[in-house]
Amino acid sequence: MSQPGYEGITVEHLTKQYHRVRAVDDLSFTVHPGRVTGFLGPNGAGKTTALRMILGLVTPTAGTATVGGARYVDLPDPLRHVGAVLEASSAHRGRSARNHLRVICRAAGLPDSRADEVLTMVGLNTVGTRKFKGYSLGMKQRLGIAAAMLGDPRVLILDEPTNGLDPEGIRWMRDLLRALAAEGRTVLVSSHLLAEMQQLADDVVIIAAGRLIRQGPVAEVLGNTAGAARVRVRTPQAEQLAAVLRDAQLQVSADPDGALRVFGADPARVGQLAFAAGVELHELIGENADLERAFLELTAGKAGAR
Amino acid sequence: MNLIRAELLKLRTTSMWWIFAVILLPLWGLAVGYNWLAAEVTLSTDGPLGGGDMGFGSLERVVAGLYTSGQFSGVLLVMLLSAILVTSEFFHLTATSTFLATPRRELVIAAKMVIGVLVALTFWLITTVLNLAVGPLVLSGLGASAHLDAPEVWQAIALNGLVHVLWSLVGVGAGVLIRSQIGAVITLAVVYIIGTQVLQVVFFALSTYVWEPFLALRILVPTLASDLLISGPQLAEDPPRWVGGLILVGYAAITSIVGTLITKQRDIS
Repeated sequence: MSQPGYEGITVEHLTKQYHRVRAVDDLSFTVHPGRVTGFLGPNGAGKTTALRMILGLVTPTAGTATVGGARYVDLPDPLRHVGAVLEASSAHRGRSARNHLRVICRAAGLPDSRADEVLTMVGLNTVGTRKFKGYSLGMKQRLGIAAAMLGDPRVLILDEPTNGLDPEGIRWMRDLLRALAAEGRTVLVSSHLLAEMQQLADDVVIIAAGRLIRQGPVAEVLGNTAGAARVRVRTPQAEQLAAVLRDAQLQVSADPDGALRVFGADPARVGQLAFAAGVELHELIGENADLERAFLELTAGKAGAR
Repeated sequence: MNLIRAELLKLRTTSMWWIFAVILLPLWGLAVGYNWLAAEVTLSTDGPLGGGDMGFGSLERVVAGLYTSGQFSGVLLVMLLSAILVTSEFFHLTATSTFLATPRRELVIAAKMVIGVLVALTFWLITTVLNLAVGPLVLSGLGASAHLDAPEVWQAIALNGLVHVLWSLVGVGAGVLIRSQIGAVITLAVVYIIGTQVLQVVFFALSTYVWEPFLALRILVPTLASDLLISGPQLAEDPPRWVGGLILVGYAAITSIVGTLITKQRDIS
């Protein structure tokens, strides 16, 4: 159903000015096919506005956003290229989920049978005839995914899709998005659930106050931050070990309790250097930076004053 | 065509259309009762076919009124339902999925106009069928002929259909312009029901105290333009019928064009 070819997302100098607030400020990033890209930022960072500009729902003040090289509004059959999950509560309360999907099918020129197929895919086939007002938040999120998948799109854009999901639902969503990316699709998913993103995303785009803070593969973004991989080591021969480590081009500092903190190395490397130098170790702990800490360090002080 | 099918399914899959249809029936019943009374009074005081006037106008006019019973409420309901076709997209936040499927928003509005016209013709058809069933019974009960061979009756029925259609377009246009569901419904209902009398008084006052030609301008009030289209000129200086129709088309065109331009620029969030 989808056309082959490059189906990434390119955002260039995207800007949205609302009266006095610059919700999105000269934002540029790229999203690649075959990977899950996490779109991260504190509340009010401009994630939703940026996603809506990519989808042609909000008009940018400046800049462009393209999907597969074309603006969303210029795509001939947009739902066959791009599927989007925006807010969960976006169906008529008095309409059944199945009819909600069939309306979209007709507007997009898709067969009505797709409505039943995607309902089965998200596990709502038994409650498809129930009215939307009877749906739980988790069911609404699943319905949102179903609507996004109607056109079997190569690009998926999801705004906080795990909101309101229980742990089982979050796991289901994670597995689904990973599977879709593994099929070569482009998946852009915004979230403030950082731990969740660490398990899910291949790449991250971090924004705060409408501006890009950092983008790249998760491991690289973590490695680049001040809170990157470090090792805490305790030894009775602290001075001797510190000299050895510095000779190995590692950065070392002393903790108040006398332990050493080594930056840019993992425990195996530190242990090997200590062993070679004949230094006795009492403690050797790797402290992995997590995305959450990196995120907080990166966005510190930038979320306020908006 | 896909869009029209989608919009039709939207209308069919909520309870709105049949709620409006259910409201229509008692209002139509009231209108028939009123027109029955008018026919009875006119026939009983009128003699054979004179120009007697008990405030209901000539017999032809009363008969035409009987065969277009439910016009006032039918047009009101059609207009409100047409406006809700648009405003419910924002009220229920479905505008997002609608405009994701169809980023060219003017096409969505055009499709809603088609649906508005279909609703108008359906409501008109319902009341017309009922009127053609009940009208002859009422008239024969009063000892008069059914008047179904009178061209004025069929002209009135056709114009009744036309005003339904024109007002549904005004409704869609107003819904596009006034995005708030409650705001649009209240504005339209007030202008339609109360506005006529108020604005008529204003225009009479203006022509009396300020400048006489203001009276001719009163047909710019949409409901009075509608009356002109249905009933023809009432005063010697009134313009012909078609001007009334043109004014209604003008309102539909202005509201929908301005509304569409605004909608194309509007941020959907």
